[in-house]
Amino acid sequence: MASAGRRAKVLESAISICLLALLFVTGVGIFIKQYNSDMSRFGIGTVTTVQPLQELQVISEEKPDLSSFVPAEFESLSETEVYQPVTLYEKINGKAPLYIEAGFEELSTKRFVDKNDESLWMELFVYDMGNVRNAFSVYSIQRRADADILSLFHTSFGYRTSNALYFVHSNYYVELVGSSESDELFKALIEVAQKIRSDLPVDDKTRIAELGFFPTENLVLESIKLYLANAFGFEGLTDTFTAKYNIEGETVTAFLSKRSEPKDAKMVVENYYNFLIDNGGVVKQAVNKVFEGKVMDFYGTTEIVFAVGQFVAGVHEAENQQAAEKAADILTNKLNNVMSNE
Amino acid sequence: MSEDNEKKLDRRKFIARAGKAAISLAAAGTVAYLVYDSKGPGPSTGVEEIVTLPDFTVSPQAGQTISIVKGPDRVKTVDKAIGLLGGIERFVKPGETVAIKPNVAFASPPMLGATANPELVAEVVRLCYSRGGAKKVYVTDNPINDPASCFRLSGIGKAASEANAEVVMPKDNLFKHTTLSGGRLIKDWPIFYEPFKNIDKLIGIAPVKDHHRSGASMSMKNWYGLLGGRRNIFHQDINTIIAELAMMVRPTLVILDGTTVMMTNGPTGGSASDLKRANTLIASCDMVAADSYGCSLLGLAVADLPYLAKAEKAGAGTTNYETLKPKFATVS
Repeated sequence: MASAGRRAKVLESAISICLLALLFVTGVGIFIKQYNSDMSRFGIGTVTTVQPLQELQVISEEKPDLSSFVPAEFESLSETEVYQPVTLYEKINGKAPLYIEAGFEELSTKRFVDKNDESLWMELFVYDMGNVRNAFSVYSIQRRADADILSLFHTSFGYRTSNALYFVHSNYYVELVGSSESDELFKALIEVAQKIRSDLPVDDKTRIAELGFFPTENLVLESIKLYLANAFGFEGLTDTFTAKYNIEGETVTAFLSKRSEPKDAKMVVENYYNFLIDNGGVVKQAVNKVFEGKVMDFYGTTEIVFAVGQFVAGVHEAENQQAAEKAADILTNKLNNVMSNE
Repeated sequence: MSEDNEKKLDRRKFIARAGKAAISLAAAGTVAYLVYDSKGPGPSTGVEEIVTLPDFTVSPQAGQTISIVKGPDRVKTVDKAIGLLGGIERFVKPGETVAIKPNVAFASPPMLGATANPELVAEVVRLCYSRGGAKKVYVTDNPINDPASCFRLSGIGKAASEANAEVVMPKDNLFKHTTLSGGRLIKDWPIFYEPFKNIDKLIGIAPVKDHHRSGASMSMKNWYGLLGGRRNIFHQDINTIIAELAMMVRPTLVILDGTTVMMTNGPTGGSASDLKRANTLIASCDMVAADSYGCSLLGLAVADLPYLAKAEKAGAGTTNYETLKPKFATVS
């Protein structure tokens, strides 16, 4: 009897193992099938061919009425459209990742036309980026090089081009785009901007501290940019600010990124250094001994990367090594001052 | 298993239990087999027809594959560029129907260069009718934004209509599923098909633009407008999808407009300051060659746009446009 019981036990165990194996194989099968799913059918949202835009939009009742910002001589040319991260591409297509990677939350947009001249129309884009850093990031990265700063924008960030206005209003990044370069239309855009700034409630206390960490001497006005991720193609460089400097006739890009601990900064520096070396960078002799071992030739340009306390800092793709080292020196001094005052 | 159970278990009971387990397993397997849907839930209950876009190319003629014309006036440059390739008569025969696919992606004014230029579209329509003797010309696209607004605000709808073209807007029933032979991404995917099903010739018209995701949007990327469904997922592999579009669509001719080039903040732009005048227009039977030249207007090299090499490798054209002996001209 005992041996029969043992045989039964062995057999039952074998069957159990077979069943478990079957379940495992089924699970693997499901995983493989899901992994290779047909995205045109199983993608997010409706899956048929063309989708009417209205179906993808969510009209938010809590958001400000964009019509309230527009002068009386303009009337609606379209309905208010609201886009979330999953639908943003329906409005701006290939540019959507730039916003989404920067923390984009919602876009409200609407077109208005001059009642007396249908060729004069404007489109308002109000991007809610969640916080001022995110808003500043998309603003700064897209900033037009030859733009004019408007006195309207005093302490915050904004500029005009011949047909449009762009500015940051706390967590909002706002674009006001005119259909032509008409002066009349531009005056209306200014009115809209002023109305948005006065009527759209924001938290004005938020400041971006790093903007004050760059030395002001030789700084190219309005050249500071914020890359929230993947700065210079390196994943480890997050929350990285860049600024341009005119040094001895050369334009040099300096950068800084604050970490929570000095050891974290050192680690990022080491990783970025190795990233450059792995991708063709060659260490070269520094003119200033302070930067010995931190200067690299990268396909004919100079890269410098170093740590100052909690800061990762350096110079990116400079044409001239001397100018690059000078910029690095100025930045080092400034960051040391910042550290001593903190 | 407890000791009690072990003691009570005899051969008969064990066989009975094992039999029941086997029957249960077999029953579950049979039911699963019967209800298994190998295709999964589709967008409709009807049987999907898989279609393939026709080949609209014309016979090659040595030295008449690509032309590059400099000049500020699009009407003059496109006339010259097509003329250098043998004239529109080479491409459009009397009585034929032609579809023109301009880039109408955005509800954006013509001055911002985010869409094809309306005057250029109208001129190509006129050429098809007046010199080609076309029976019918359609102008169509499946824009990113609301189609009616895109055609209206870009000025393309009005310009095309005034030139007697019929503007075709995208509707659900104009899409069919296609699978690109040898393709990795275009598999059983909805495309804007019906307007192209019964036409004789296909002409693409695209502006040269910076593109945040792909580096540049030109004549190959223009065919993105034919894709339906959740096409944004292709942005995750933008180089492959552009190359596959170049394999999927075999146009008669492409017109690449670099009269003004969107140098920054593409593909939408938004500011006149994003544009630079390059006063260049390209007409080509080889869109890989057209884009390989066109990228230089953006200050890019062929190597900067991986989709060009992919398309070339797939046999869609050549990146070495000089081997085609382009015809150059300047018109004031």
